[in-house]
Amino acid sequence: MLAASLFLYALTLGLKDNPLVPIGPGYYPRIVLGVTAILALGVVIADLLSKKAASPPPREKLNYAMVAAMFAVFGLYCGALPFLGFRISTFVYVAVTNAMLERPVSTKGYLRVLAVALITTVVVYFAFERYLAVLLPRGRWTDF
Amino acid sequence: MPGHLELLGAGIVGMFHLKYMVPLLIGSLIGVVGGALPGITITMTVIVVLPFTFGLEPLQGLAAMIGVYVGGETGGLITSCLLGIPGKPSAVATTFDGFPMARKGEPGRALWLGIWASILGGLLGAIVLVAATGPLAELALRFGPWEYFALFILALSMVAGLVESSLAKGLLSGALGCVVTILGNDPVMGQPRLTLGIEWLEGGVPFLPVLIGVFAFAQIMTDIERMGLSKVAEPLEKAIDLAVSHVKVLWDIVSRPFLLLWSTFIGLVIGVLPAIGGSAANMLAYDQAKKFSSRPEKFGTGIPEGIIASESSNNANVAGSLVTIMAFGIPGDAVTAVMLGALTIHGIQSGPLFISQNAALAYGMFAAYILAHPLVLIMLALGVRWVLRIVIVPKSILFPVVLVLCVVGAYALGNSMATVYVLLVSGIGGYAMVKFGFPLAPFILGVILGDQIEINLVRSIMTDSDPWLFVTRPISGVLLAASVASIVAAVWQHRRMQRKSAAAAAEPDTDF
Repeated sequence: MLAASLFLYALTLGLKDNPLVPIGPGYYPRIVLGVTAILALGVVIADLLSKKAASPPPREKLNYAMVAAMFAVFGLYCGALPFLGFRISTFVYVAVTNAMLERPVSTKGYLRVLAVALITTVVVYFAFERYLAVLLPRGRWTDF
Repeated sequence: MPGHLELLGAGIVGMFHLKYMVPLLIGSLIGVVGGALPGITITMTVIVVLPFTFGLEPLQGLAAMIGVYVGGETGGLITSCLLGIPGKPSAVATTFDGFPMARKGEPGRALWLGIWASILGGLLGAIVLVAATGPLAELALRFGPWEYFALFILALSMVAGLVESSLAKGLLSGALGCVVTILGNDPVMGQPRLTLGIEWLEGGVPFLPVLIGVFAFAQIMTDIERMGLSKVAEPLEKAIDLAVSHVKVLWDIVSRPFLLLWSTFIGLVIGVLPAIGGSAANMLAYDQAKKFSSRPEKFGTGIPEGIIASESSNNANVAGSLVTIMAFGIPGDAVTAVMLGALTIHGIQSGPLFISQNAALAYGMFAAYILAHPLVLIMLALGVRWVLRIVIVPKSILFPVVLVLCVVGAYALGNSMATVYVLLVSGIGGYAMVKFGFPLAPFILGVILGDQIEINLVRSIMTDSDPWLFVTRPISGVLLAASVASIVAAVWQHRRMQRKSAAAAAEPDTDF
């Protein structure tokens, strides 16, 4: 954050003032980024001091791998939307995510995954396209 | 010009029209279910409902959202009382006495004490909402750009100071929110700045996808990382007897008028304070009820006082939040921040002029808030058992569905994938903020108020370049002094808490 705010602050120095107004477009951003940089520096120093003062308590074992996988799948879903279209991408996304969060172990489980994906896609598609006049993304590759 | 009560009467009569009643009813129902679902917050529920409101009239959409808000605050107590799992953070304190009372063989009493306290607290809050919003908005009309600038700074400093974690992180979080608003064309002359060559950034970063991404992902991903570790709602093995004498339950509440009024007052005040929300209100009201009680040792064993305090405060908190957004244009919490977004989509500016320029809409919102309470009451009387069955829907199904609706909501804002990418980036950012201990509320308030802070700063300097006017104008000076005082108080509070926790670590904790 410190580095990013300093980088953006440097960029504001290149903004040209407008003679029609007493303060230019960089005036407020420089205040905000300056404050951000100072606060970020404060947090860094406070963190360093607290790490020296006490060792962190033992942490609960959390499933970060699943979180990373969920973000990755969501990122792929967002990336696939313009190419595959809403219906195909959403069906695949819901099925994959549902299966990742609760691995199907029987035919019934797989059927549940497919049913949830199908119902979600169909209900959301019809609710928005037909009744709420929201045109959902069409696929560049599939035209669907 | 029609009077205050006439407008309210017209608003209530208008709300009975099917085109408004149906969204209010559906919103209330979704709110009750969303509030009851452990792990699904009211913010997430209102985010899910948001895209469905795009195609509706503003009042229809707002009625649905107000229904979600009221329904959610009430619905959260169901699982708190009957399963011992709070449906939402603002029902945590309800669990302390609601669940023990249910386990002692009085589940119906526990449940209905909560429901009636919610309804009474909410309706008492409605009196303040209707009576105070107009005068506060009139007061705000006297504000110039100096006062608005000072007011927004006060809102940000208060939120940053009231967060439980580090004050510096709270302030930094608010500043980061403001950073989001400086990307894109400057609001005065429209000159591009800090766009990094990205064309669509010239229009600035839309705040709704940021809000949706930050809150939805922060909640869902922190739940996913704990899946399998925490306690989950189990199906009910046998039918719980929820039969109860409503007269006795109501007497339980009205025979404690001070408790009801004080808890409602706490909820209202917390609601008026920007971006704090019901999670603080219910804990504070519970704590106050315990302090004022003649039998504090009984708290946590299943006494009515604990349930009444928690539930009346969290519903009154809704009214307080609505006062702030309608009078000043400052969201009282994340749910009203989404409402603010919904208003913006329809081209309506909230703030001091909101009531005078949109009287029908404003009084319609009051009416929706008032009528949502009896609707929720009827719904729960008819179908509380159904709600209990719905809450066992697995998160493995809920989470993908919620995320798909977030995508649809973001996409529908501008029929553009750019807003979906903003959602994704905000989601990653929101989760990272939570993991690094940065509070989300100041960030969101910064995103919402950043533009307004800049516009009012520039306007004030363009009107008069004397910077001392910020301090010498009475209202502005008082507001800025209050900002400084809130930060000083927060520093003092944090140091006090650190000393307390150090002392507590030194000796074993025997308190509840």
